[in-house]
Amino acid sequence: MEKYVKLAVSFVKRQYYLHLLLLFLFVVFSGGFVSFKGLETEQAAKVMEMYVAFTGILLFTPLFMPEQDKEIWDLERSREMPMWKVYFLRFFLAFVVFLFVITLFFNFMIKGGSEFDLFILFRGTCCEILFLGSIGFFASAVTNQVVIGYMSAVIYYALNMGGGKYLGKFALFQMMQGEYGTWMYWLAGSVVLFVSGIIVRERMAVGSFRAAGFRPL
Amino acid sequence: MFGTLFLKECRQVLKSLVYYIFLVAFVFSVNSQMSGESWKSLKEPQPGEVYYGRTITRDETLIMEGTLANLMQDVYRGSFATYPLGFYKKVALTEAERKKVEEILERCTGKSYEMLESERNRYFEIIEQQSTLEEVIAAETDYKVPVREGLTYEEFGIAMEEICNLVGKGSSYEKSKYENSIYVPMTYEGAKEEFAALCTKDLITRGYMRLFCDYAGIFLSILPIFVGVSGALRDKRAKVQQVIFSKPAPGMVIIGSRYLANLFMISIPVFVMAFLLQHPCYKMARSMGLQADFFAFLKVPCLWLLPEIMIVLALSFFITEFTDSILAVFVQTAWGIGSLFGADVLVGNFGLSLVARWNTFGQSMLYASLEKELLWNRGYYCLLAVVCILLTVIVYERKRQKGGAYGKVCKTGC
Amino acid sequence: MDISIEIQGLTKYYGKKKALSEVSLSIPQGMFGLLGPNGAGKTTLMKVLTTLLEKTDGKVTICGVPIENSRQIRKMTGYLPQDFSMYGNMNVYEALDYLAVLSGMSRSERKRKVPEMLEKVNLLEKQKIRVRSMSGGMKRRLGIAQAIIHDPRIIIVDEPTAGLDPEERVRFRNLLCEIAKDRIVLLSTHIVGDIEATCENIAVLNQGKICFDGQVSDLLSLVEGKVYSAEIETSDLEKIKQKYMVTGILVTGNTANIKIIADENPFTRAKQVRPDVEDAYMYLMHKG
Repeated sequence: MEKYVKLAVSFVKRQYYLHLLLLFLFVVFSGGFVSFKGLETEQAAKVMEMYVAFTGILLFTPLFMPEQDKEIWDLERSREMPMWKVYFLRFFLAFVVFLFVITLFFNFMIKGGSEFDLFILFRGTCCEILFLGSIGFFASAVTNQVVIGYMSAVIYYALNMGGGKYLGKFALFQMMQGEYGTWMYWLAGSVVLFVSGIIVRERMAVGSFRAAGFRPL
Repeated sequence: MFGTLFLKECRQVLKSLVYYIFLVAFVFSVNSQMSGESWKSLKEPQPGEVYYGRTITRDETLIMEGTLANLMQDVYRGSFATYPLGFYKKVALTEAERKKVEEILERCTGKSYEMLESERNRYFEIIEQQSTLEEVIAAETDYKVPVREGLTYEEFGIAMEEICNLVGKGSSYEKSKYENSIYVPMTYEGAKEEFAALCTKDLITRGYMRLFCDYAGIFLSILPIFVGVSGALRDKRAKVQQVIFSKPAPGMVIIGSRYLANLFMISIPVFVMAFLLQHPCYKMARSMGLQADFFAFLKVPCLWLLPEIMIVLALSFFITEFTDSILAVFVQTAWGIGSLFGADVLVGNFGLSLVARWNTFGQSMLYASLEKELLWNRGYYCLLAVVCILLTVIVYERKRQKGGAYGKVCKTGC
Repeated sequence: MDISIEIQGLTKYYGKKKALSEVSLSIPQGMFGLLGPNGAGKTTLMKVLTTLLEKTDGKVTICGVPIENSRQIRKMTGYLPQDFSMYGNMNVYEALDYLAVLSGMSRSERKRKVPEMLEKVNLLEKQKIRVRSMSGGMKRRLGIAQAIIHDPRIIIVDEPTAGLDPEERVRFRNLLCEIAKDRIVLLSTHIVGDIEATCENIAVLNQGKICFDGQVSDLLSLVEGKVYSAEIETSDLEKIKQKYMVTGILVTGNTANIKIIADENPFTRAKQVRPDVEDAYMYLMHKG
């Protein structure tokens, strides 16, 4: 247990703290950007889908940041602990922070006298934000470039601003239009992207991808 | 040296995955937004038609009546929609504040609030009983609250400022907003005049290219950030900083060639897309016997989009070089999205907006009246881009002499 | 033309930490070795000479040009940093050509010099290989090619043989000697063998200070008559290590052949032997 705590602390201390700092600012200044007072269901969904959604991008995209340096990656690969455990640990850390932040935003809204179905909106928000975060996570896993991770997630967000008509059930911003049924697709999509992201990294680490001519970009 | 380096940097951009993602995202998103082919409905207005479209009114009385109608609706509903930094913010007033708003309404209309409310209820009751949902929505747009006799536009402006003080920033009672958001149906004469302006001033294609620039500008406020950050971090990632620092090439040449290469490579798909989208519109205009500007695909994006790409790219170069991190991604994405959501209106009101909106095909006369404002806006960003690049060169040269680090500013890594 | 590097009272601070202290050196034409342990300040000195770091105090001139004139200095120096790397997506030819452009070479010059340099460093046949696929030795050879392509009067190479296999190391040392004919090659290393095989003049840097500056023969003379070899029981090894400076041990069964440095013959079985640079370096480090 101790080694896992040490790994998590080291990750936060060396790479993640600035993302957490940005997230802190994002939460602290949220009152200046959006209102949490007296919202109805769809207005509350809009705040969650259009503003709070950035939490997912911010938390889940930079999880492979240390391994951008190939030497660090090689060194970590040579250790006894499998890399998937390291990645899962980071994911778990991000997930805990994510749940905390989402709960905080819901708390703001409830205290502001907003009225909505807590369970349905909480479920949908979590799945949607996880899905957006998983896009950044997967893209940075495959390319080994955090910039591409952020780029992919932001592009996906931007595409949805234009209506997301080609994105089908995976389109964002559904709840603010009154559609609450797509949470399963978001959840399934995020599970697939998170798991396959870790699998791809693991394959890259054991070298089977490299042997097949695949190179981290 | 500069020309050779520029070509080599272009080749480097072509080898970058970020660039290809930019390319696909840009083409896909602009294409999906522009698929409406609004030019297909282009025809000269004929007398006796039922509908000639709508236009933003410049009539002060109509602006006052429309704005007061919006205010009446907001007071009736008990909440105000504001967009202080682009995101929706609902503002509910206290009882005392509400009383003040009611007083302002009474001052502007010369009627008591109770009277105004009963008039409003009567108007909507009649419509709701007889109409479809679409008609109700249209009726809401046409709802007007007549102003008090003798109310000047200045008095009205002061009253709206008082409203803004009560509800906060980003409401529809800001001057820039209400002056550009009251639409009225066009008359045959107005439509004819508008069509003539589109044919003579805009030569059709220029008007269409402005709509292209509106959509493309949205994506170009964000996408080049990633190309810029990735390009500026390239040396750090490849660990070639020391070797390049030790070469005699001046920082101005190294940074300048990289910046221009990125700018050039980002601009190419923009102009190609503009050309491809303009071509059918150009052909149709010619087939109608109208004169059309073949080079609009170069002229209009050069004015609307090039300064935007320049500043987005230059700022991403500067922030990345200064901090050696991806901080630009967060700062500039917030700026881009904020600028988009924070736009008061979808047509005009350029101010210092990064994304200059013109979400319509035509409105040539309105554009002619706002062109100067746009030129100031774009000129400002061009100048700012040059300043950012000069600052980037200074930072680069400082790092060269300081062993590669310009201080520990937000090193989130790359 | 004057080909020399003159350093007088060079001091460099990193914040409050003194990395170089009053360093004075005169480096003539030919191979010059800069020896010292890790963290001695070798890389700092080299970075100051290549204008990649600003000095805190002192005076440095390269071929008569003050170091402050960075543009001119960069034109006349070629630098191979310790961890030389290039963009992984470029091939060998493109990488060298790119760096040649940054060195201010014209198109015709590059067309002539790039293949010539690749031939010189034995990379001509590998010119299409991408940098990311190159071995450590190949990268170093590309590194030296980029350092000399613009025909600089001064070449500064930082730990060039670290991580190379013995054959590559010998080949690399020979290459350096070859190019040092009509210029200065300043070679920094902590591998004594590199210096011994290539340099006539050396300086030893320790904790930011020059503790030796002269010819290799002068360095050797410091330990002349002080190096002994003896065969001892392995059980005595610890005792001897505590008492003397041991520079070599070869254990065979219960006996060990050792090489020690001592002012007088430590015991009768010990035979005086000819010192090498490593012995002299060890002596200098421990004496200092």
